[in-house]
Amino acid sequence: MQISIQNLSKEYSKKTAVKNTNLELTPGIYGLLGANGAGKSTLMRMLCGILKPTTGRIKFNDKDIETLGEQYYEHIGYMPQDFGFYPDFTARDFMMYMAAVKGLDKKTSKSRIEELLTMVNLQEMAGKKIKSFSGGMKQRLGIAQAELNSPSILVLDEPTAGLDPKERIRFRNLISDFSKDRIIILSTHIVSDIAYIADTILMMKQGDIILQSPIEKATEAIKGKVWEVVVDIRELDTYTKVFTVANLQHENNKVRLRLIHETPPSATAIAVESTLEDLFLYYFGEIELNGSVEDVV
Amino acid sequence: MLFKYEFLKIIKRKSTIIIFLLGLLMTTVFFSLPVIQYQAFTQEGMITGFEGISYNKNSQLELAGLLTEEVITDIILEYQQLFEDPSNVGYDGRDEFLIGDAYWEFVVPRTKFLRMVMNNYSPPDIILTVDRLREVDLSHGAQFYETRSNKIETLVQNPERELSVSQQDFWLEKNSQVETSFEYGFSEGWDVILSATELLLFGILLVCIILAPVFAGEYQSGADAIILSSKYGKTKVIVAKILAALVFGLLAFSLYVIMACSIPLLAFGVEGWNLPIQITNTVIPYPLTFLQATVINFLVIYIVLIGLISLTLLVSAKMKSPYFVLMIMVPLFFIPLFLQPDGTTGFYNLLIYLLPYRATMSTFSQFITYQVGGIVLDAFMARVLLYGLMSIITLPLARYVFKKHQVSA
Repeated sequence: MQISIQNLSKEYSKKTAVKNTNLELTPGIYGLLGANGAGKSTLMRMLCGILKPTTGRIKFNDKDIETLGEQYYEHIGYMPQDFGFYPDFTARDFMMYMAAVKGLDKKTSKSRIEELLTMVNLQEMAGKKIKSFSGGMKQRLGIAQAELNSPSILVLDEPTAGLDPKERIRFRNLISDFSKDRIIILSTHIVSDIAYIADTILMMKQGDIILQSPIEKATEAIKGKVWEVVVDIRELDTYTKVFTVANLQHENNKVRLRLIHETPPSATAIAVESTLEDLFLYYFGEIELNGSVEDVV
Repeated sequence: MLFKYEFLKIIKRKSTIIIFLLGLLMTTVFFSLPVIQYQAFTQEGMITGFEGISYNKNSQLELAGLLTEEVITDIILEYQQLFEDPSNVGYDGRDEFLIGDAYWEFVVPRTKFLRMVMNNYSPPDIILTVDRLREVDLSHGAQFYETRSNKIETLVQNPERELSVSQQDFWLEKNSQVETSFEYGFSEGWDVILSATELLLFGILLVCIILAPVFAGEYQSGADAIILSSKYGKTKVIVAKILAALVFGLLAFSLYVIMACSIPLLAFGVEGWNLPIQITNTVIPYPLTFLQATVINFLVIYIVLIGLISLTLLVSAKMKSPYFVLMIMVPLFFIPLFLQPDGTTGFYNLLIYLLPYRATMSTFSQFITYQVGGIVLDAFMARVLLYGLMSIITLPLARYVFKKHQVSA
């Protein structure tokens, strides 16, 4: 099974959301990382066949997805952002509806729905209206509906947004359970989600895929560019203005800084092992992080 | 399965329930008013409501029967003879009229009947008061049906109507099928229904408001993404949505229709269903009973409903939000309310009888004529054609537009 994205672009009247992208996707979990507006959702929508590219094509097992039509859609499971539709439906009704939309027969649907609702820990809420669900419950329902047809391509757009830490862990475990022999594409701007479950990291910036790398090798790009330095508290302002600061820790009148820079920021700086958070900061810089450090890492 | 859940989507929305109940309440109020406000007059005073209905019903049933030339001649003669006694006659400086017992015992119980008779003798497009029955020449009998035929001929041949010969023949041929003599009786319940069918326009509007989110609601909530990326999202789901919308629309509207019919018929009784509609207005050229006329009128209104639902679905498939759908559909319903016919046969006049408001009216006595190629159509057939075509064109378009919808931010 293979998805081949060839010269894919999407242009809107005022901006280019995705620029001439080429990717080959085989079974595995792909973490699509990028700041808001990087083009992640646009790319995912084109992958799901619900948004037409301006140029380029997407092939599934060497066949254009546009010509495959239903034959392609039956392989797709998609969970869009901000999930929480049909507030007046119960979770079970909603799942029954989605099962019908996905072409499952009634008998198969019932057992599959019970299985999935149990898996996402919503079996006790099955008869409750979706409008009474918390954000986390809606997200879990979202993943359950995406999984209904046991899709070989699972596309999850910001699935952990709005989840508390406990729910995020549960969610990661779910994804890992689903991952065998499938292509799973997971977009997020939460680096730790990807660090835990993705096999491959795809980093997007302003419509470009700027990095495609196996997760264990991803940080090699910034090897020797992450430094730790202890400075006087009076020098803090200077350092934060000049360098990308990944972390800071107060120690009496001193501050321990974790910096990302091509060269040692001072004679006393020590090179340290890089992480995905460092990688993210390296590519997106402080501008992307304004006021959202916790969100991102 | 898909149909069931698409239908549930419509009926489970709180707004659906509120709007539907509002429609039911409006229909109830609209069609109760003729009952609540019904008045009968006696020498002792005014009788309202059910008592008034009962009083007038008994009075009119006394006149029930076949309206032969002899019967009509006798009644007009009796009326004219009342003027021979000066104590029965009042004078306002211009006209003479019956007063006292002659008025209360002869005219009042027969008011509706006498008006119908007088209108038959009135020149086209003019309504004369009952007093003018005095002037009807009875030297050769009432000649009621001959007068009626002549009046219809004059109406269709009136140069101001600009009807072609084939159009005139269309109406005269239709009229030739009307059987005379007319059977008279009490038909108030059917009268009320036929004279107020345009009030059901609000029911159609509310149904369209309820259906505005069928496609646009999916775009607005973002659910279009999961539907269109699923196996049947671009095929069976769309068919199910359209079917569910049509079935809901027809069911909801039928409840309004049931309410609209049952209130007058329960209050006034079902009597009159088999009487000719000419007893409300003798120039009506349609050979129909009240029941047949009501059924035809409602069938046409149902086609109008289906056409407007189809149009709503197309607009819904095109717009990003149900609010935009309403911004287009609501004026389409309300603007025609303020358009008045200009009495000509020009395009404007013909058009407004096809727009939503007047398309729901029973226009049996108005000789509104359309021509498509060599085929002459009355207003009812033209409405069926227009709204039928509207459905045939807009439903596949709605399907196409949703199928091709692009899910973007």
